Amino acid sequence: MRIQLFGTCLIDTMFPETGEATVRLLRHFGVEIGYPDGQTCCGKPADSGGYSRESKKAAEHFISVFDRTEGPIIIPSGSCASMVKNHYPELFKDDERMRQKAEAIAGRTHELSQFLVHVLKVHEAGLSGTGRITYHASCQLTRELGVLEEPMLLLQSLNGAEFVDLPHSDRCCGFGGIFMAKLPEVSMALADEKVDTILSTGADTVTGCDHGCLMNIADAVKRRGSAVRVKHIAAVLAEGLK
Amino acid sequence: MNHSTSSIPFRENAVKALSNSALRGAMRNATETFAIKRADAVAALPLEELREEASELRLHVLNNLSEYVDRFEMNAVRAGAKVHRAKDSEAARGIIASILQDHGIGRVVKSKSMVSEEIHLNDYLQEVGITVVETDLGEYIIQIAGEGPSHIIVPAIHKDRRQVGQLFAEKLGCEYSDDPAVLTGVAKKILREEFLSAKAGISGANFAVAESGSIVLFTNEGNGRMCTSLPPLHIAVLSIEKIIPSLADLPKFIRLLPRSATGQTITSYLSVLTGSRKPGESTGAQEMHIVLLDNGRSELVSGEYREMFKCIRCGACLNACPVYRVVGGHAYGSTYPGPMGIVLTALLEGMERAKSLLDATTLCGACGDVCPVKVPLPRLLRLLRERRVEQGLTPRLEQNAMAGFGRVVEKPFLFHLGQIAGHVFWPAVKKFGPGDAVGRMPRPVSRTFRERFA
Amino acid sequence: MNREEIVALFMENAAKIAAQPIRVGDNDEFHDALAEALGEGDSVFCPGLTEKEKAIQIPSEKRTEDYASASVCVDEADAGIAETGSLVFSSKTGRPVQAGLLPVHHVAIVSAENIYETLEDYFSAVGNSPPTNITLETGPSRTADIELTLTIGVHGPGRLTVIVF
Repeated sequence: MRIQLFGTCLIDTMFPETGEATVRLLRHFGVEIGYPDGQTCCGKPADSGGYSRESKKAAEHFISVFDRTEGPIIIPSGSCASMVKNHYPELFKDDERMRQKAEAIAGRTHELSQFLVHVLKVHEAGLSGTGRITYHASCQLTRELGVLEEPMLLLQSLNGAEFVDLPHSDRCCGFGGIFMAKLPEVSMALADEKVDTILSTGADTVTGCDHGCLMNIADAVKRRGSAVRVKHIAAVLAEGLK
Repeated sequence: MNHSTSSIPFRENAVKALSNSALRGAMRNATETFAIKRADAVAALPLEELREEASELRLHVLNNLSEYVDRFEMNAVRAGAKVHRAKDSEAARGIIASILQDHGIGRVVKSKSMVSEEIHLNDYLQEVGITVVETDLGEYIIQIAGEGPSHIIVPAIHKDRRQVGQLFAEKLGCEYSDDPAVLTGVAKKILREEFLSAKAGISGANFAVAESGSIVLFTNEGNGRMCTSLPPLHIAVLSIEKIIPSLADLPKFIRLLPRSATGQTITSYLSVLTGSRKPGESTGAQEMHIVLLDNGRSELVSGEYREMFKCIRCGACLNACPVYRVVGGHAYGSTYPGPMGIVLTALLEGMERAKSLLDATTLCGACGDVCPVKVPLPRLLRLLRERRVEQGLTPRLEQNAMAGFGRVVEKPFLFHLGQIAGHVFWPAVKKFGPGDAVGRMPRPVSRTFRERFA
Repeated sequence: MNREEIVALFMENAAKIAAQPIRVGDNDEFHDALAEALGEGDSVFCPGLTEKEKAIQIPSEKRTEDYASASVCVDEADAGIAETGSLVFSSKTGRPVQAGLLPVHHVAIVSAENIYETLEDYFSAVGNSPPTNITLETGPSRTADIELTLTIGVHGPGRLTVIVF
């Protein structure tokens, strides 16, 4: 099977190891990976800020890059995947030609954990893991894409690791894209509460499917001086491949 | 309460609220309790079906609002009520003041009403020499504290029992206690005298029924019943979108409103009040006035924000909102706080005033999930942010940054240059840039994922 | 649902919201239940409008016509609603609906045949020409305005006894 990977700007710019883990993981399951040239950002930051002109530019560009390709588009980020699947068709609701293209792209798009469970059945593969792992259910992934069970199935399936539920797992961590920049004090207060719940589980690793949230949580963990590891789910799963 | 039209300083308010540990504790305790109670209460319902039906019905009313308002007025008048239409807050305040002045009334008892807060009724009546006594315990607490409500259902949610105890000891001269039962007893005794001597009562309304001309009130303490049945004069003030078609529609909302608000199956008291006292009856005000507030709603319901007016003011979105949970209602500096409050403030008070409030959401979507009538709050919040950008009301620095983003996002080469620049200049950006967020992000890498993959 | 099931549901839901429901089967039980419920009050108001209200025996030294100063109000509800355990009072029969709100103890009688199963059943019976005042009373008066701590008996009664007859 051949898929097209959208790396996301955050992973591309700040967390390339997560991109590499995603690639290792997919290849391990026999997936051939295309990485279309020219990809940039899905436009989510502009979209949530209300800059629709700029988010449309991003969407048009994304569509033009992936329109030339075939097969499933895999995105290792809940918020970017929701942007493509839910918001792109909405952005072009008054432009029939673009809307159709957007719908087609949306139909091909899968968030990574969704694809790993539903298509590759990775949760049945018996990968191994270590330590005590808990999971933060990021907002757009959970509420807009309706993906809640899949990441947990994957984590629960890891041999040698213990999965623990995070209280209020689906409560916002305070990242919120530009929210983090515009109301930093509130953002930090929310991240601090998230860290409280993480520490209450006794987990040594917290994971999730969105690097935006994980970045915000990692910062709060650092402020707390805690040794809890904050890792994207692709990285957690890929650890078991060695 | 600030009546000005200048922009609300949400960030400054929020920072102040975050450092108030009593507030943080009270908010955490209250919103947590509410969330659990609500979840338990709705679990027994065919919730999705009921939400859908209620949403459709509310939308149907909004689509035909002027006919429903006419119908309500006709039937209320037929039942003996006097109906007044108020174009805006000023008109509503004026109508209420004149009714009271015409009767020579200088003191009124009042049950909780968010619309009366919206029109700043108490301050105005005070100015013209009429004393308003709030009789809902929470409202009474904040009235003697000289504050506005911080929650649309539980106005004094931000205070803990020690603060209420100190307040009562200081303002009412009673002995200090932090036992809610004792404090409630103190207020009960004072307010009972007020009820029995009152010549007029003011209330809001949770719903107005077009086919019968009734107003419907949900209360737990009994103060709503007292304000509307003991004094000879009753004035109800409500906004026009509160209408439902018929009493047969009421059960749906009885099932949704208290469960969403406090997790109760039904409130202790539910009053359906239809006109003034008729011959042979021993209950009901001799004179009933209904003030219907428009305040821009007739126009707003025909536009892109229509669905906001499906809202039945349960407060569930406040309790679910991560931002509200940590900063409390006063930080919003507006009549209505939380997610519904941001939208309503922008619509009723204008974008200039609400522009910073629009930052007060992470767009996490929790508000939309709990709304019993499916107000698409996240979509409305995003839409308002779009309008804010179109009106040029975002900071210049942000506009420039977004314009820059727009230029590079479709040019991969420039985008990559930006990434390199980010890596190279990171120490400088951290030092001189909008450091708050930047300081919490890792440095862009020297070799991006794209380069490593190739 | 048959009548007995509706009554049972009403009793169950009334008990859940801190009302004290009592089921009586005949006149003797009715008077025993009343005697017990009224025993503690020093002044009792009863409007005496319905057959059941007229049958209530109140010692003359305890009886008062001023409901605002009474410690107990005993009256008969128009209806009950099983779904919520609510009592319904209305101004229809000339009843002072507010009388049940002022004393500390409200003793309400409801006839088993007047209990509706659902809210819809009741409101469709009302139609769209209701009397001036309809009040659904569900449990005693309550507030949670201080730290969400439940406090019973704010402005209204702290105790609600419901006699189903």
